[in-house]
Amino acid sequence: MSKDSPVDPRGPRFSAWITTAILAVVLLTGSWRLLAAQTVLFGLCAFISLKLNPWGHVYRFAVQPRLTPTSEREEAAPLRFAQGVGFVFALVGTIGYATGLTALGVVATSAALVAALLNAALGLCLGCEMFLLLRRYAPVLARPQ
Amino acid sequence: MTGVWAVLGAVAVVAAVGVLLRFHGGRVRVTAKPREDLPGPVRDLLDPATPVTLLQISTTFCAPCRHTRVLLSDLADRTDGLRHVELDVTNLPEVAAGLGVLRTPTTLALDASGAELLRVGGVPKRDTLIAALRPHLPRPIG
Repeated sequence: MSKDSPVDPRGPRFSAWITTAILAVVLLTGSWRLLAAQTVLFGLCAFISLKLNPWGHVYRFAVQPRLTPTSEREEAAPLRFAQGVGFVFALVGTIGYATGLTALGVVATSAALVAALLNAALGLCLGCEMFLLLRRYAPVLARPQ
Repeated sequence: MTGVWAVLGAVAVVAAVGVLLRFHGGRVRVTAKPREDLPGPVRDLLDPATPVTLLQISTTFCAPCRHTRVLLSDLADRTDGLRHVELDVTNLPEVAAGLGVLRTPTTLALDASGAELLRVGGVPKRDTLIAALRPHLPRPIG
């Protein structure tokens, strides 16, 4: 696994808004294909590199030049961990929708939506906050990378 | 239709969390308990010559830990008798469990003997923390 360099913290907030919109559309349409695409995106960011996040590139080229530069940087490790948490929820949701277990799809997608919106609107990274809890009760999931 | 309710429900949950964080985040809890059972890695960080040690519990996967580090180290630099140390518990879950810490950052104020004076979950609010520490320090906080 490659190590990402620290990022401008406003980039992930921007991405989180887009993720929020995608997950809301999934809930409204029940499209498992869209959710599957989001799952792949979460997986790419979590397991390969944050550089594969297309919204990060949109942010860098379209949004960042319009903002006042900041020297603030955020470590990549918490972000990738959070993407991994999103991956698990989105995967469960995709399986739910695709197999006709719509209730499972709705519940898992709603949980992912809450996490994405918390990140976008409040800057709260749920996956990061839960790291110690996960570590305590599900050590396999939260092994350090 | 279920989807619409799910979206509205998610928004409501986030709004509720936002309100809770507003009031509870960074709040100082006065714990005031003597500690005979401090985990080893914590005991090693204590300094008997300093009245109050701010022990910040962090993990690698913690974004607000960095803000907390900046705030606390600045506060410690300006204040006599106060120091700031950070302990990364990513690979020390038993230390976090031993201290009863479930989220990061959590900041514990320990006196020279290792007794816990207070703790703060989340990024501390500077003014609230200064007010809570004042009785334990030899000189006013600058």
